[in-house]
Amino acid sequence: MVILLLVWEAIGASGLVDPLFISSPTGVARAAWQLSQRRDFWTDLQVSATEFMLGYGAALAVAIPLGLALGLSKRLQYLIGPFVDTLNAVPRVTLLPLIIIWCGIGIWSKVVVVFLGAVIPILINAQSGVKASEARFIRVARSFSASRFKIFSSIILPGVVPFIFTGAKYGAGRALLGVVVGELYASTAGLGHLIADAGNTFQTDVVFVGALLFMAAGLIVVALLDVFEQRFERWRPSPR
Amino acid sequence: MPAAVRAYLAHERVILGTLMVLLLLIAWEGLERGWWADALRPLLGDSAQRLRLKPIFISSPTLIAAAAFRMFFVTGEIWRDLAWSSAGYLLGLVLAVAIGIPLGLAGGWYRRLSYAVQPFLAALNATPQVAFLPLIIIWVGTGLSERVLIIFLLAVLPLAINAHAAVRTTDPRLIKVAGSFGASEWQLFRTIILPSSVPFLLAGLRLAIGRGMIGVVVGEIYGSAAGLGAMINQAGARFQTDRVFVGVLTIVAAGVILVEVVQRIERRVEIWRTPA
Repeated sequence: MVILLLVWEAIGASGLVDPLFISSPTGVARAAWQLSQRRDFWTDLQVSATEFMLGYGAALAVAIPLGLALGLSKRLQYLIGPFVDTLNAVPRVTLLPLIIIWCGIGIWSKVVVVFLGAVIPILINAQSGVKASEARFIRVARSFSASRFKIFSSIILPGVVPFIFTGAKYGAGRALLGVVVGELYASTAGLGHLIADAGNTFQTDVVFVGALLFMAAGLIVVALLDVFEQRFERWRPSPR
Repeated sequence: MPAAVRAYLAHERVILGTLMVLLLLIAWEGLERGWWADALRPLLGDSAQRLRLKPIFISSPTLIAAAAFRMFFVTGEIWRDLAWSSAGYLLGLVLAVAIGIPLGLAGGWYRRLSYAVQPFLAALNATPQVAFLPLIIIWVGTGLSERVLIIFLLAVLPLAINAHAAVRTTDPRLIKVAGSFGASEWQLFRTIILPSSVPFLLAGLRLAIGRGMIGVVVGEIYGSAAGLGAMINQAGARFQTDRVFVGVLTIVAAGVILVEVVQRIERRVEIWRTPA
């Protein structure tokens, strides 16, 4: 890692390659500092964060209950399953031109793309989590005449949690992708807009700052989800 | 139980699924043709007209089918886009396989290399790789190489990560046994690691196929002369909703076919494996 940074800096400083092409770590750091002084940078950040949170929040709110319901009820799965499978096969960003026709180029088209990107993996994971719950436990609980709700809350739900978190982590990546593509495609503000703008004006260092910010956002979201997961999983005896 | 009920229960999945899809298609067609607006007019009065949507807004199944027929068989324009996009897609995917799999396998086998490569893989995997698109364009322009690079970047990670995980999860007992019988590193690799990592590699390939499809569309955002993604973008900009749908469906079909091929291969290759 350090070696890479040093080599990068050396190439940038030596002037062998035009700084237009690769910039350099110090150049990127300087650009980051300058950006942080500008007010519109913080608006961009805020816009992107809002899009991500609205879309991702809505995806969680829809996908978890729906996924659980689909896993529990076979009929419901027969009814909704074809749509989920179809949407799963569609790379959701290809729908972007349509979504822009429907919702315009403001933040709502991005919220919809983020939502569509994140909702499917979470839903599918929640559903397969219910399917994978230990059949023996359910049989035992039934023989002790546990109610359906009791079985759901004390056997199925705890078993599904790791699946949901896996889905949520995957979905977070998809959601970020939605933010970037949506903003590259058509937008008036946001980090992706900043990157696209900087790319068009050959400000390589600013593009790097934007890409690094997205990287940081991805790592932070996954780390947060890991922390939450550990909280939820603390009761589980470790397998070793 | 009467025979009709039994027949229904036996095929419940197909019946309910088809029913829902049909309902959706009819509802959709109705929105565009104004069936619902006409039907609900006595109830809602003039506000029912809101249910009559313009074709540029949602198009309709029949319009899409007509557009598809025109583009595939009458004008044939889509074949050029298809060929153009496939060239970039295949190149990117092949490059991703050629670099991602060996890198992942090597990273899984040599611990030192893994320490060096792992942080990059983890960081890149957390980033939406599309964010590098403006950089790629600065580097190589907007031609074929740009599209190949973005598809490569999107597809390489699942391949490398799965190859890495595959080597890591090889049964250590097998390796130990082979080692005590004096197997060379090459023999170890060829007879134990490679066969046991095939399922992981194919799973990675399936993921990579889907990711690459994103690259086709995104890579053609910035003015491409032809290609499915460019076609979708242009049609969207001109409010030709039916053409957008045709493009999206074509991409979906291509993805489904490719994944099916991989699954066929998977079953072929896995035939010798005893079920666990």
